[in-house]
Amino acid sequence: MVGSATLHTAMAEIVVGSMVLATICAIGCLASRILTPSEINSESLFITMDRASLAGSSLALLFLPVAIMTGNLAAEGHAESALLYNKFVYSGLALGFWSAFVIGRYRMGPGLWDVRQLAILQAATAVSAFLMTSMASSIGGKLVRGESLFDILPFWLPSDSAAILPLWASSSLLLLGLISTFFVFRLTLPRIQEID
Amino acid sequence: MNRIAIVMLLCISLVLAPGYSVANPGGNGDADRDYSCGGSCHGDPSLSMQSDAKIEISLGNEAFYGQAVAVHVTVSEVSSPTNIFGIFILSSLNGNSDTPEDYGWHMIQDPNGGSSNYIEMTMPSSGTITATWVMLTPEDLGSHILYAEIHHGSYGGEKAFSGVSEGFEVIVNEVPEGLPGISSDWVAPSFRVSGDDSPLHISTRNSTDISVEWMLEGEWDPISAPVQCISESGEEICNEWEVNIPATMGEIDIVYRITTFNGTFSIEQPWLKMGTAAPPFEGDIWSARAHSFAFALLVISILVTLQGRLSPVIQREEIDQTKIVDKSSLIRSDDNPGWLWNPVAEEWVEDPEYREEVE
Repeated sequence: MVGSATLHTAMAEIVVGSMVLATICAIGCLASRILTPSEINSESLFITMDRASLAGSSLALLFLPVAIMTGNLAAEGHAESALLYNKFVYSGLALGFWSAFVIGRYRMGPGLWDVRQLAILQAATAVSAFLMTSMASSIGGKLVRGESLFDILPFWLPSDSAAILPLWASSSLLLLGLISTFFVFRLTLPRIQEID
Repeated sequence: MNRIAIVMLLCISLVLAPGYSVANPGGNGDADRDYSCGGSCHGDPSLSMQSDAKIEISLGNEAFYGQAVAVHVTVSEVSSPTNIFGIFILSSLNGNSDTPEDYGWHMIQDPNGGSSNYIEMTMPSSGTITATWVMLTPEDLGSHILYAEIHHGSYGGEKAFSGVSEGFEVIVNEVPEGLPGISSDWVAPSFRVSGDDSPLHISTRNSTDISVEWMLEGEWDPISAPVQCISESGEEICNEWEVNIPATMGEIDIVYRITTFNGTFSIEQPWLKMGTAAPPFEGDIWSARAHSFAFALLVISILVTLQGRLSPVIQREEIDQTKIVDKSSLIRSDDNPGWLWNPVAEEWVEDPEYREEVE
């Protein structure tokens, strides 16, 4: 029988690998549309990167909830430190950013990269998702090995201290999230159509 | 051709990169561990190297049966130092059941304030490190051997270094009957929570009185702490005590020394250390889960709304109403060029086709 912590590590590795591919390709798509076409910056390369980013982000989105669930099981029902609490929060943020990235690309098609503002938004979403997933993984490293690759970086998002919300405040925030998502999916999402 | 070569070089670099990484550069944490962690990288001849560090063991006080003794391990002259150092105090080098507690010693406190035989410390810039274990001697009188082992890496991280001291003989002497000391059940607390001024509980044996001196680590002038017996036996001997040591805040360590008395006996115990810990984390797992999913949903809402706002399809639909006009039963009137009559809403609307003709 495989322990939830081992399974969590495996799932996290799939998520991180997929999202690195997705992020690099998303940035590549943006760059491809900003830079002038050339032998290297060809249409076929753009199409490949666009599809790779969609495939990578979809795979990350598919495995992220599994990684979160196995992480939950590995935590054994305790949020015993600020690091673990922040791991939950950063995982949620990563899930949000990846979902938005996939929704945007799926609804608008590859044509979204031709609209500069949308292309910038999409690439920024991928980079933010990358940052959030990296933070969550990095906290995992901190918890297990006492160190992380982020230690060598000159900056570090807050993780040692957590803004703890009481259960009623978290629940209210969750309710607000559910209501806003409902309205966005009901009103805004149907109006977003594929860009030719 | 060049592009293929670059890709190949990149792939080979990525494949080889993990081989140059180090295994556990952050250490494994303080714990009770046997010699070489029972076969870790540091004990594997193909992965390890002999450390050239000088390792010395010394005693802080003479060892008497059942009394606390301070065992100092000094490590110096390390030619390939790393930030983190693992130090063991061992009673044998068998590789299993090596800890002093396996040989009858009782751990009162390790150098980091806990009660482990393996601890990790940061090497100071002086290049010399001294770690002190406070232990109660075994019940068997006579000779007992202690070893100190070190584990460390190097800045390059290519090898796991290991070094072990010569066996150090501790002679446990017999003591007069009734000699007061620390109870063999008592373990010194490693820390108190910041701001906690609750009394410190101390268990002793054969003591009629105790005194406790304390000071902040780094100071030189100890202060006496108020002590009271909490034993209800009513006899002259009292073995349960409460000591009031002031609360500490931040990352301050307090060191304290217990002196046990019984008649003419006055036994100074080794200095002990007590750190200050942050208050326990009060986060709730369900709050963290709700917080996490709330953020996920809010981020989705915000970003999808932004995508909708920036989407050119929506903007075009808001401006271009030709399809609506075409599909409706609007009536064109020659009397009012440029305007159409809507019989349902009973109002005039602008004719987009007329505007195009004029333009």
